[in-house]
Amino acid sequence: MFEYLVRRLALMVPTAFLVTVGVFLLIHLTPGDPAVIILAESYTPEAAAQLHKDLGLDKPLPEQYARYMGRLAHGDLGRSLRNKLPVTQAIGERLPATLELGLAALCWSLLVAIPLGTIAALRRGRTVDVIASGVTVAGISMPNFVLGILLILIFGLVLRALPVGGFAALSDSIPDNLSRLILPAIALGTFGAAANMRFTRSSMIEVLNQDYIRTARAKGASRLRVVNHHALKNALIPVVTVVGLQIGAILEGALVTETVFSWPGVGKLAVDSIFGKDFPVVQGIVLMSALSFMLANLLVDVLYAWLDPRISYA
Amino acid sequence: MRRAVIPLLFALVLSACGGGGGGTSTTPTGTPKTGGTLKVGQETEIVTLDPNASGLLVEREIYYNMYDSLLGIDAKLNFVPQLAKSWQFPDDKTLVFNLRSDVKFHDGTPFNSEAVKFNIDRYMNDPKSVRKSDLASVDSVEAKDPTTAVFHLKRPDGTLLAQLVDRAGMMLSPTAIKQAGANLSVSPIGAGSGPFEFVEWKRDDHLTLKRNPNYWRKDKDGHQLPYLDQIAYRPIIDLNSLLAALKTGDVDFVRTVAGKDVDGVKADSTLVYRDVPTLGFNAIWLNHSVPPFNDPAKAKAVALAIDRAQILKTVLFNVGVVSYGPVSPASWGFDPSQKIYDKPDPDKAKTTATGFSFTLKTANNQDSIQTATLIQAQLAKAGITVNVLPEEFGRQTTETRAHQFEAALQGWSGRIDPDGNTFSFYHTGGSFNDGLYSNPQVDQLLEQARASTDRAKRKQLYADLQRLLVGDVAEVYLTHGTVAQISTNKIRNFTLIPDGMNRFAEVWKS
Repeated sequence: MFEYLVRRLALMVPTAFLVTVGVFLLIHLTPGDPAVIILAESYTPEAAAQLHKDLGLDKPLPEQYARYMGRLAHGDLGRSLRNKLPVTQAIGERLPATLELGLAALCWSLLVAIPLGTIAALRRGRTVDVIASGVTVAGISMPNFVLGILLILIFGLVLRALPVGGFAALSDSIPDNLSRLILPAIALGTFGAAANMRFTRSSMIEVLNQDYIRTARAKGASRLRVVNHHALKNALIPVVTVVGLQIGAILEGALVTETVFSWPGVGKLAVDSIFGKDFPVVQGIVLMSALSFMLANLLVDVLYAWLDPRISYA
Repeated sequence: MRRAVIPLLFALVLSACGGGGGGTSTTPTGTPKTGGTLKVGQETEIVTLDPNASGLLVEREIYYNMYDSLLGIDAKLNFVPQLAKSWQFPDDKTLVFNLRSDVKFHDGTPFNSEAVKFNIDRYMNDPKSVRKSDLASVDSVEAKDPTTAVFHLKRPDGTLLAQLVDRAGMMLSPTAIKQAGANLSVSPIGAGSGPFEFVEWKRDDHLTLKRNPNYWRKDKDGHQLPYLDQIAYRPIIDLNSLLAALKTGDVDFVRTVAGKDVDGVKADSTLVYRDVPTLGFNAIWLNHSVPPFNDPAKAKAVALAIDRAQILKTVLFNVGVVSYGPVSPASWGFDPSQKIYDKPDPDKAKTTATGFSFTLKTANNQDSIQTATLIQAQLAKAGITVNVLPEEFGRQTTETRAHQFEAALQGWSGRIDPDGNTFSFYHTGGSFNDGLYSNPQVDQLLEQARASTDRAKRKQLYADLQRLLVGDVAEVYLTHGTVAQISTNKIRNFTLIPDGMNRFAEVWKS
């Protein structure tokens, strides 16, 4: 297991390198001059030339990349072109908000998916299963920004039950923080909830047909005990894999959800930085996201072995 | 979704507009109430709090509540005293300011002529300054005595007073600037002398200002200004979310709503919507250096065939007015006689030039694309084919600045002096002369108008200038927007000024 972990971690280095090359090329090949965007209505050719010089954008692309990698080797992701802040600080300031939102979205998706998926499996073909399947299709089909706007409309404008956006730090006010968290977490987590429910349902149906379940029932175990103690743990193994993959989807969904709900996280920073051609910040966020995704996958593989002792990574 | 950078964005200049100039410029008031926090939603996050480096419209708005300028303007765009009590041109290359002696910066240091010299020198000489072109006519500033600052000019400049209302005239505490260093752009603690002091800025979340208890201004009854305890700015990029936040009272005041939502806001009794004409304009930028618009007849055919009123009605929900030139009806330089393309005339366009095609670049947002599509249909009637090319805003702006376009939908937020809407756009080699338009007569008029301090003479020069610009079809002018108060009905005593900057020193909440 240890060797496997070391091998996987070592493999992340070339992958991350390829990510830096890809992102650097992609973002520099995208048309749009950061100086024009930063200067906006204060643009003059002289000011733009000075800014190119200050930002190092007057250097050839390979040189810019070599400088970037040189700094990266020392753990320095560079500085934002727009506000000159270190990229690590810019991301660090926003990471807690995104982690909070991501975690809440994940909790929402699991809290909905596992009970509903299990019930649908136990009552497959009946009304509750049909309704659950319909809701699932809607949840998977609806883009999270549409759901976000719908939630704002219903809970913000019509019912006036919850604030429609913005953020309050946990340290300032826990109720305010939580009330502002609910709608974006639902918007972000609903796709995952729907997908997880489908997986839980089908996995549970498969497990419930296994011999050992029949044996447990034959021994007189109650239906609840059979489901909780025997079926659920095994049925959740494939769900764990899907949840791991969903961490990527949550990072991606945060781009839109955070913008719709004015949630000051990494996703919103990414969107602003892409439109502002703030190369170092975009590169930093993509690199961070790629590493998170790789680590999440590794974690899933490890969890897999823990959940199912038959799996080994010798 | 809207892009982060607003200023030249066509649709936002439009959507910041209102429904055709309604009402007085100040909200009805009663007995002012002190206290409370004004929550302002902004459609874009700001980048810097240092006027030296600022390029965004939303930044200027915050500055006006934090920093004082040498001069102010009233609702009719007349210059009024601010940090300077009075000013005069003893000759056309000298400008003398008589300064207030009772002003302290938020850090407690005094405002005086040394501070004026320090700030102007910084704007003119700092390598990172983007204010240099605003002060291009200034040679040096002399601190003659603590309350007298003398500007020595390289050449006569009739636009300088207007520049000194805006960022180039904003005075920051020299001590605070030195202490903050590079941090000034994110945390200008103690730097201003305005009605509100900087407290904190958490990027993408909020920016808070608090009342300056020692502010030098009083209201007409002698009460200390400002009335509000705090202003909390919050960036809400999505316009639907911004409107929702206003309706639910999550914010009290927003800068803009989408044109389609204006009627709904007007109909809502809990909200206030008032507007006045803006100084900005929206137009089709034409590239005069490449086909087809290196042929003036083709530019003229486009100008003749376009139905501006239809654009205003169909896409912009009658928000704003039809434009006949770069100077808006809000400006003293506006000439109402310039209406030579008042009605669409596709038949005359056909006889002028027909059977050609061009690519019209536009930002990829709904209002801009709809405008471009409508133009496409209008020009088809004159046998002109338009290929609409929506582009990401940053790309479109970059390509336009680099003259890589045939035609592009663009806008300008407008400046107090007509020079700010004309010189850099139409003078040969001007910074925003993206279409490489050049006419020696226009250059001469622009230079004469800039050099004169006689408003009557300048008004005539700008009228002549506009006649040439519209005749040459330097650009195809489309619309002028309006600036609006869009707030909850608890906001009192707010004055609308056509420069679109929301100043809150005299505002109170009921």
